[in-house]
Amino acid sequence: MTTAMTCTRLTIFTVAGIFLQILGLSFFVFGFFPVKPTLSGVSGSESYRDPFCDSSPISNESDLHHPEKLKLLYQELSGISSKYDRLILMVIDGLPAEFVLGKDGKPPWKVWKESMPYTQSLLANGDAIGYHAKAAPPTVTMPRLKAMVSGAIGGFLDVAFNFNTQALLDDNLLGQFFRIGWKMVMLGDETWLKLFPGLFMRHDGVSSFFVKDTVQVDRNVSRHLPDELNSDDWNLLILHYLGLDHVGHTGGRNSPLMPAKLKEMDDIVRTMHLRAMMDRSHDQGQTLLIIVSDHGMTENGNHGGSSYEETDSLMLFIGLNSNISDYASATNNVAFQVDLAPTLALLFGVPIPKNNVGVLVPGTLSSLRDFEQLRALELNSWQLLRLMQAQIQSSSFPGFSCNCFLDGTCEGIDLDISECSGDKEKQLICLFRNAAVLHGIWKSKKSTESSSAMEDFSRALDAYNTFLKTASEWLASKTTEKPVLLLGLGVSAMLISCFICATVFLSLFKEVYHEPKDQVCSLSYLLNLEEMFIFALLLILVISMGSSSMVEEEHYIWHFMVSTFYLLLLFKTAKSFNFSEGMNILRDFKFGSIFSLLISGRLLRGWHQGGVNWTYLPDISKWLQQVGSGYVKWIQLISNFLVIVLGLYTLFRTGLNRKSVRILAFGFSACGFLILLHAGRYQDEMSTDFGATVTVKVIYYLLSISAIGASLVLPWSALNKDKSFLAEVGDCLYSIGSAYILCWCLLQLLLQQPINSGPILLLFLQILAILCLSSNDLQVNEWVEIAALYYMGMAGHFALGNSNTLATIDVAGAFIGISSHSTILSGILMFMITYASPMLFLLSLVMYIGAKLRNHSHSTISTHPETSLGQILKLKLGFPCLVPLCINSILLTAYTVVLLLMRNHLFVWSVFSPKYLYVCATTLCTYIGVCIVAATVTYTFSVTTFLRSNRTRHNNS
Amino acid sequence: MKEAKKKKKPETSIGVSISALGAFSVYLITGLFLAVGFWVIRNIYFVDLISDPSLTLRLLWIIEFPIVVVIYSLFRRNPEKCSYFRAVGRSIVGLISGALINAFGAVSLGAPIGMQSLPKTIHWSFLMSVFTVVPASAVFGASWTDWHRVFASLKPTGNVEYMILIPAYGAIIGGWFGAWPMPLDWERPWQEWPICVCYGAIGGYIVGQMVSLSLMILLRKHKILKLA
Repeated sequence: MTTAMTCTRLTIFTVAGIFLQILGLSFFVFGFFPVKPTLSGVSGSESYRDPFCDSSPISNESDLHHPEKLKLLYQELSGISSKYDRLILMVIDGLPAEFVLGKDGKPPWKVWKESMPYTQSLLANGDAIGYHAKAAPPTVTMPRLKAMVSGAIGGFLDVAFNFNTQALLDDNLLGQFFRIGWKMVMLGDETWLKLFPGLFMRHDGVSSFFVKDTVQVDRNVSRHLPDELNSDDWNLLILHYLGLDHVGHTGGRNSPLMPAKLKEMDDIVRTMHLRAMMDRSHDQGQTLLIIVSDHGMTENGNHGGSSYEETDSLMLFIGLNSNISDYASATNNVAFQVDLAPTLALLFGVPIPKNNVGVLVPGTLSSLRDFEQLRALELNSWQLLRLMQAQIQSSSFPGFSCNCFLDGTCEGIDLDISECSGDKEKQLICLFRNAAVLHGIWKSKKSTESSSAMEDFSRALDAYNTFLKTASEWLASKTTEKPVLLLGLGVSAMLISCFICATVFLSLFKEVYHEPKDQVCSLSYLLNLEEMFIFALLLILVISMGSSSMVEEEHYIWHFMVSTFYLLLLFKTAKSFNFSEGMNILRDFKFGSIFSLLISGRLLRGWHQGGVNWTYLPDISKWLQQVGSGYVKWIQLISNFLVIVLGLYTLFRTGLNRKSVRILAFGFSACGFLILLHAGRYQDEMSTDFGATVTVKVIYYLLSISAIGASLVLPWSALNKDKSFLAEVGDCLYSIGSAYILCWCLLQLLLQQPINSGPILLLFLQILAILCLSSNDLQVNEWVEIAALYYMGMAGHFALGNSNTLATIDVAGAFIGISSHSTILSGILMFMITYASPMLFLLSLVMYIGAKLRNHSHSTISTHPETSLGQILKLKLGFPCLVPLCINSILLTAYTVVLLLMRNHLFVWSVFSPKYLYVCATTLCTYIGVCIVAATVTYTFSVTTFLRSNRTRHNNS
Repeated sequence: MKEAKKKKKPETSIGVSISALGAFSVYLITGLFLAVGFWVIRNIYFVDLISDPSLTLRLLWIIEFPIVVVIYSLFRRNPEKCSYFRAVGRSIVGLISGALINAFGAVSLGAPIGMQSLPKTIHWSFLMSVFTVVPASAVFGASWTDWHRVFASLKPTGNVEYMILIPAYGAIIGGWFGAWPMPLDWERPWQEWPICVCYGAIGGYIVGQMVSLSLMILLRKHKILKLA
């Protein structure tokens, strides 16, 4: 860079870099977290017809709202006789299939086998058939339940974005059963109630919150069992036992509690088998009992990842009347978890859910007649074909037409069976055609010869199974595969933008720090200690992102490094300490500020024991909650009071003692009073009281009016003839900045949990301390101070109890003051709560610029009165905008690369992906903060220039 | 202010000087006592740093402290004005104040506060004080300008000051790096506070000793070359 950059070019480059970054980020996010193509709506009677037919509903379906009629219609259309009337679905949370079925053809361990004698005897007699049902990651309960009942594999973003509204809105089995008038009963994990509100006739939900409780949680389910088994008013009984998962979480696979728990489960199986299925004294119809687990567990009893131990879940059918006699063939079966949905749909005569990617579990149909088996496979194929049609353009289906294969004659398609090859889509279509043709041949011949019918039947069966398997794999991979081009584009765009940002920063850096000396290369310039430390910190952060445990415990790094930075400041101050001047007041102030930074930093660190692995360790917030809520109230009161007093002190410090400042001060005091009122009156009962909502709304309006009003009005009111231009702007910015941070702190005192009011005060104190330090001539470069502010903001982010898991997001606070349910508003509130600290420190940059201007107004720039506005803006605003953007850009890009490298890591969904969402949100936060800073500073400069020129014109005339 | 700082020349030190060989033997003796400390702990008390950190650290600093005081008091400033026993006495004061400083540093960097970890923190900071502050307080006493020149401005003159400065900073930096594995979830017993920090500090101390030795030798060669 030969010439110094002008302000305009700097801005253009930066904005271009940011846009490139946003573009790259969105490319990457859409590539890495594919949003699965879903079909909307619910399967109806059209699912019993050829997918190439006109999909308009059957004419009289509209008046088929009556469940009984709909049930009859489905039965008639499907052509499969439903043998079962009732279904018992027993979900044992976290039971690995290995416990029941063994592994690699070997029977299960003796301990496990002996703990479940009845189940094992059922397997040995051929009354039961078990499957290793492979579950898709993330192996946690809710997404797995969704997969079981809808047959669809959700993407990661579904999990991440659905923690608010939990009801399953996609087409699913329970909805289908409800539509044909089934009565359903649910006992166990209340996740089912969240997923399917209002669907159950009777329910008793238990919470999975108390992980240490391994006994009561299951007793609460089983206590209803005798009554339910005696009654005959339900069609579907869901039992969800959580105890085994809790045993695993507390003691791992080999916990001493495990055999007893397995025995308990086995007893329940026996009770149900004997009472509901064998006992024919009541006229309850034929019952099918299915035992499934949602996921497995690791040796330590954890789950969430994608290892074999975690994904190995159980699917056990009891009462299928299948003709299996030996133990090995009853246990050595493999299926996918999603296969449960189509199997149940076909067995019970409802349409297969629309987005299902599973296939019929082979072996469950053997009791059906031949034509029924082929029909079931055909229906499954049609459903998958419909899903495929959403992804393959229709021109790939040449010659297929409605009812083409009905009678085995189809114009335009040669009816030879061919080897299928070519690309995947063509191959799939070819496989389907083969199967349909063979099915047609079998149907047309069925009545004539019986000898070759058997052969035709098995050929058609095989063809269907091949198609289904291939299609299911293809569809499942569509939801998990990553488009390489999109990812590459995204990453390279981010790298380029990172490069642009760094170049702009370096050019500004050279200009500011090397302008007087014409140094050719910067090698001779040795970075001093703090600058090296800032770079080293960045490097360490980037490296630590590659380790999952460092991502989980990121708050340790931030606190450790920020405290080390404070100690370096202490060292530096001690270095410049001068004995000849003695203990003068200025130095004491500096030492005092650094010590208060250190102490408040340590208090912040001890407030919340964040992270994942050591959350149980004691911390200040736990201690305060133990000793009683009275102390929390006191802390809240003191924090609120001190924040207002200190904030008003900084507001009045500039000597801008004008009417507008006084109005502002009054507004803030009123807000503080209202917040205290709200805390005192409404916080305890957590009510959605009308009064509380109104109070909060008033606070919102007051705060936003004060902040916006301060930034708009204050520059106009600052007119002081004695001061220089820069000092005037500095005063003004200092006031605006203090109004900003006071406003933000008050907002956080309202929104955050009461326990967090202490950290808010401490963060506020930290900002004041570092500003005091920097205005007392710290002998640290400006960009180092800004970087330190950014780092302190991130350290504070974790001090407020945040972590890199989605679980720590404060959802409750996001509904304060919102009367109607609005996703956007509560999302904004949630963002503000989560990013309280980084935003606070970014906003404090306005105050920082003001303080710098006030200090240095007589030194450098004011000597050249003709320096243009652009030049001043570049020098004053360049670093505060560029440094946060650069740091964030580097971290974002590095983490993107890390995520790409870790895409096959065990913890990619449980650790790295949530962290990536946080990194994206931090990026957004940085953009917003920098925008506010840039806009405010530019506006103030322009207004003051305008006023000055007006005044000089006035004086001249 | 800056001019005032520049004017201040490092005062010529009046004290016993030491050759590189002498420094080496001092290091050998202190290192030997450290090893003796570990031997005693292992073979007489049958514990180690992992099983009983607070007892181990206490024994270590109690064994190491006298020898450091005895040796470094020989190199005290103004030996004719200041008696040997005065140097010993002020190094005890140095031990306690150094322990306070080290404990403050450790706690501010995140060392746990609590009744369980309190003895560990206390004994760790005493050991760190033996490494960092005690030699300096034996040599410099209350001469604050010397402290400031050596520790803050990093301008040591003479071999004794190298012996004070470099191992002390070595121990601090080693301890700082030693804290790094603590948040990792390897579930090893040595990841507890203050075990790995201790290892880091001792390692850093030894590395610092070696660096100071090589610096002494290098500088002496430099000086001889200059003279020639």
